[in-house]
Amino acid sequence: MTPGPLLLLASAALITSLAVGAWWSRMWLALIATAASAGLGAALRVLLGGGDWEWRSGFLPGGEPLHLRLDSLSAVFLVLVSVAGAAGAVYAREYWSERQYPASAPRGRAWWSVLLLSMGLVLTVSNGLHFLIAWEIFAIAGYFLVTLDNQRSAVRSAGWLYLAASHAGTMCLFAFFASLAGRTGSWDLGPMREQTNLAPLFWLALFGFGVKAGFFPLHIWLPSAHANAPSHVSAIMSGVAIKMGVYGIIRFSGWLPVPPAAGWVVIGLGAASALLGITFALAQNDFKRLLAYCSVENVGVILIGVGAALLAVTHGDAVWGRLALAGALLHVWNHGAFKSLLFFGAGSVLHATGTREMSRLGGLWRAMPWTAGLFALGSLAVAGLPPLNGFVSEWLVYLGLFDAVASKEPSAWAALPAAVMLAMAGAMAMAGFAKAGAMIFLGAPRTAATEHAHECGNWMLGPMLALAGVCVAIGLAPVLFWPAVARAVEAWHPAWNTAETTAPLVTLGTAQVMLAILFLAAVAWLWRKAHTDNLRRGPTWDCGYAMPTARMQYTSAPFAGITSGWFHWLLLPERKMRKPRGLFPEDSLRLERVPETVLERIIGPVGTAIMLASTTARRLQHGRLQFYILYVVAGWFALEFLVLSGGAR
Amino acid sequence: MTTICDLILRLAWSLLLAPLLPGIINKVKAWVACRRGPPVLQLYYDLAKLWNKGVVLSTLASPGFVIAPAVAWAALAGAALLMPLGPLGSAVSFRGDVLLLIYLLALARFCTAWAAMETGSAFEGMGSAREVSYAVLTEAAMIAAVLSLSVQTDSVTLVTMLTPSAGPGAVLLAAGLFTVLLAENCRVPFDDPNTHLELTMIHEAMILDHSGPPLAAILHGASLKLLLFSVLLVQAVLPMKEMSQLGAAGALAAGVLTVTVGVGLIESLLARLAFRRVPLLLTTAFLLCVFALLVAWKEVAK
Repeated sequence: MTPGPLLLLASAALITSLAVGAWWSRMWLALIATAASAGLGAALRVLLGGGDWEWRSGFLPGGEPLHLRLDSLSAVFLVLVSVAGAAGAVYAREYWSERQYPASAPRGRAWWSVLLLSMGLVLTVSNGLHFLIAWEIFAIAGYFLVTLDNQRSAVRSAGWLYLAASHAGTMCLFAFFASLAGRTGSWDLGPMREQTNLAPLFWLALFGFGVKAGFFPLHIWLPSAHANAPSHVSAIMSGVAIKMGVYGIIRFSGWLPVPPAAGWVVIGLGAASALLGITFALAQNDFKRLLAYCSVENVGVILIGVGAALLAVTHGDAVWGRLALAGALLHVWNHGAFKSLLFFGAGSVLHATGTREMSRLGGLWRAMPWTAGLFALGSLAVAGLPPLNGFVSEWLVYLGLFDAVASKEPSAWAALPAAVMLAMAGAMAMAGFAKAGAMIFLGAPRTAATEHAHECGNWMLGPMLALAGVCVAIGLAPVLFWPAVARAVEAWHPAWNTAETTAPLVTLGTAQVMLAILFLAAVAWLWRKAHTDNLRRGPTWDCGYAMPTARMQYTSAPFAGITSGWFHWLLLPERKMRKPRGLFPEDSLRLERVPETVLERIIGPVGTAIMLASTTARRLQHGRLQFYILYVVAGWFALEFLVLSGGAR
Repeated sequence: MTTICDLILRLAWSLLLAPLLPGIINKVKAWVACRRGPPVLQLYYDLAKLWNKGVVLSTLASPGFVIAPAVAWAALAGAALLMPLGPLGSAVSFRGDVLLLIYLLALARFCTAWAAMETGSAFEGMGSAREVSYAVLTEAAMIAAVLSLSVQTDSVTLVTMLTPSAGPGAVLLAAGLFTVLLAENCRVPFDDPNTHLELTMIHEAMILDHSGPPLAAILHGASLKLLLFSVLLVQAVLPMKEMSQLGAAGALAAGVLTVTVGVGLIESLLARLAFRRVPLLLTTAFLLCVFALLVAWKEVAK
C-alpha cells in the first residue's frame, strides 16, 4: 500500500477516536493503535525506499490549496510520533484511568487524539498557512494535556508558562512564514535553496522552533511543564513534542538557504544546551524535573549534530557532516525511546508513592522490581553507555566531530569544544542517572511514602518493555536502522550521497552484541559463584556502625553537591537553614531549591519591570474628561510646535 | 577461528598480568619507606582467597549488587580487548573504537557507583558521588587527549592513533594522561588506596560492603583498569612505529613498568590532596591535554 491510503486511514482513525474517545475507551485505544500502525507503515514505506509521497488537492482550506508531502525526513519523525503515541495511549489506560480520574480521563483521550493528529499534520503539510494552523492546534492540544490535572495550582501555572512561551515561538513562526510567503509570493513550501535572499529568515525559524525544541536558554517552560504534566503526557511532550521543534529547525535549514553563521550558532547552542541542561538536571531533587532538564541536554546533543552538518554544508560539503546529521537523527529516535521509557518509569513511581521528591524515596526495587530494572536500563541508555542505543547515536555525532577536527578547516574550532562539552555532558548524564536510579530504587526507604508502593500493572509495564526493546534493538543492530536515517540525511541535502559515509556500523553492532554476550556471561558466572551455600545476609556493614537508619543515607543534594558547586554561578541555589539550638533542639531544617535561573533571574525581573512600566503608564488613563481634553490640547500644541519649527517637512 | 584464539589469548594475557601492577606499586612504596612490604604477587593471593570465600550481602541490596560488579568487570575486559598492544596491534579494530573504549570505562564506573548505592551506606554514597563527579573532568581530559592524537594521526582508530612520532606535544600529553591515570585509578594525590579513613576515600569507600567473589571481580577490574591506562599512556607517548617488533614490545613493557614505578614513587612522596583541590589538578590535566592538542595542531599545520 502506498503511504497515501495509510495516512488517510490513520487520520480517519484519529478523527473517529476523537469522536468516540470520551465514552468508549477500549474503542479509542484500538483506533489509536490502528492510526499508529498505519502512520508507522506509511513512514516505513517511505524510509525503506518507497519514494516520497506527495499529494495536492484543489480543496482550499483557508484559501490555500491543500498540499501534503511525506519525505524521508518527516517520515523519521512520523515513526517517533506513531510509536510513542501508541505507547503513551496504552500506558495511560492504567496510569490515568477512568476510575481514578473520571473527569479528566475522557478529556485526556480526546486531546491525545488531537495532539497526534496535529503532529502528523505538522509533519506532512507543505503549505505555510496550514503549517501554522497545525502548529497552533498542536500547541493547544499540548496545553490541555499538560493541564489535565487542573485542580493543582502548580499545574495551572506550568500550563500558562508553556502556553505563553509556546506563543512567543509561534509569533516568530508567523513572522517567518509570512515573510517567506512575502518573498516567494506563495505559501507553498518546498526546497528553495537557490533563493539566497531567504537566508536571514533562518534566525526567525531558529527562535520560533527553538522555543518548542527547548534548547538553552529557550527551555524556560520545559521543566515545569514536563514535571507537572501527567507522566504519559510528559513522555510524549519530552520524547516527541519537543522533537517537532527540532524537526522545524532541520526541515527549514534543509529547504531554505542558511546564513553562513548558522552552523556556528547552532553547534554553539547545542553544546551549551548539552552541558548546562545536564548541569541543571543533576542539581534537581524532583525526578521528573531531572528528566525534563535531561531533555534539554539531549536536544543539545541533537543540535550539535545539526550544527556540524550545517557547518559541513557551508565548508564544501564535507563528508563528516553526514555522520553528524545521521547521529542527530538517530538520536531523535533514541531520545524518544529512552526518555519515554524513563518518564513511564517515573510515572509508575509517582503512581505508587505519590511523591516526586527523590529524597523521600528509596528502596523501591523490592516493591517494583520491573520498574527498577527498566529504569536502570533507560538510565544506561540515556547516559550513552554501550551496548545500548544512546551510545550509537552519540558515537556517530562524535565521529562527525572528530572528522571535522581532523579536517583542520576553520569549522574544527567549533567541533573541538563541542566534542569536549559533549564528553562532559555524557559524564554528567551518567552521574545524574546514577543518582536518580539510586535515590529512587536503592538503599532503604527514606520516608513512609514508599510503604504502600506496588508494582505497576501490565498496561503500564507493556509499553515500558516495548520501549526498552527498542533501546536494545537500536543498540545491538544499528545497521538495520541506518538506511532509514541515511535516506533522511539525503532528503535534507540532496547533494549528499550517504553511500560514501564511513561509519563501520556493522562492526560496531557486532562489537556491541559481543559485549552484551560478555556481560550476560560474566553476570551469570558471578551470580552462580556468589549464590552458593556460603551466602549470608546481614545489615549494611557501614564501617561497623551498629545502628544505621534510613535517614543516614546519602541524599540527592549532596550527591550532586560537587558538580553543583562548580556551577554555583549558574544554578544560584536558594538555601534556607534553621540550625539546631540549645541542649534539646526542637526542629531544625535545611531546605535547598535550585531555581530555573533563566526564568526566575532574567525573564521574571524583566517581566516585572515591564508590568511596572505599564502600571505607571496606566495612571494616564483615569477617566477624568478635563485631563483628556488637556492631553488633546497639549498634543495639538506639540504638533503645532513641530510644524512651525520646521521639524516636519 | 584464529581471531577467536587471538582474542582469548590477549584477554588471558591482560587478565593474568593486571594484578601484578598494584604489587609492584606496593613494593616500590615499601622500598622507599625502607620496609620489606607485601610480596609482589600479593593481589593474586588475595584474589584467589576472595574467590573461594562466601558472600555477605546487605539486607538492603538488590540483585544489582552482584550484577553491577560483573558488568563492570566485563566492560573493563572488553576495553582490554580493544586496546592495541604495541607490535601485536589490536584484535578488534574499527573506526571510532577509541570512543567505545572510553564509554566502556564509563560503563564500568556507572556500575561501580550503582553497586555502591545499593547498600544505603552514607560512606558509599559519598564515594560514588565523588567518583562520578570527578569523572566529568577526567572524561574531558580523556577526550582532549584523544582529540590531540586524532589530530596528529588523522585517524579515529586506536591502532593508528597510538603510533605518533614523539614531539613536544608528547611531553604535555604524557603529563596530562598520567594525571588522568592517577585520578581514574584512585591513586594518590586524588585518593589513597591504603587509608582507613572512610571519609576521605573514593574507590575504597565505594566497595566497603562488597565481599567474596564480587569483591574479587572489583579488585581485579581495578587492576585491569590500571594496566589499561598505563598501556594507553605508554603507547600514546612512545613512537612505537619507528621501533623493531621486539624493541617495541620491550619498550611497551619497560614503559608500563616505569609508569607503575612512577605511581609508586608519587604515592610515597606526595600527600593526598584536599578534596577541594582535586578539581584544580584535574583541570590542569585537562589543560595539559588541550595544550598537547594545540601543539599537535601546529605541528600538522606546518
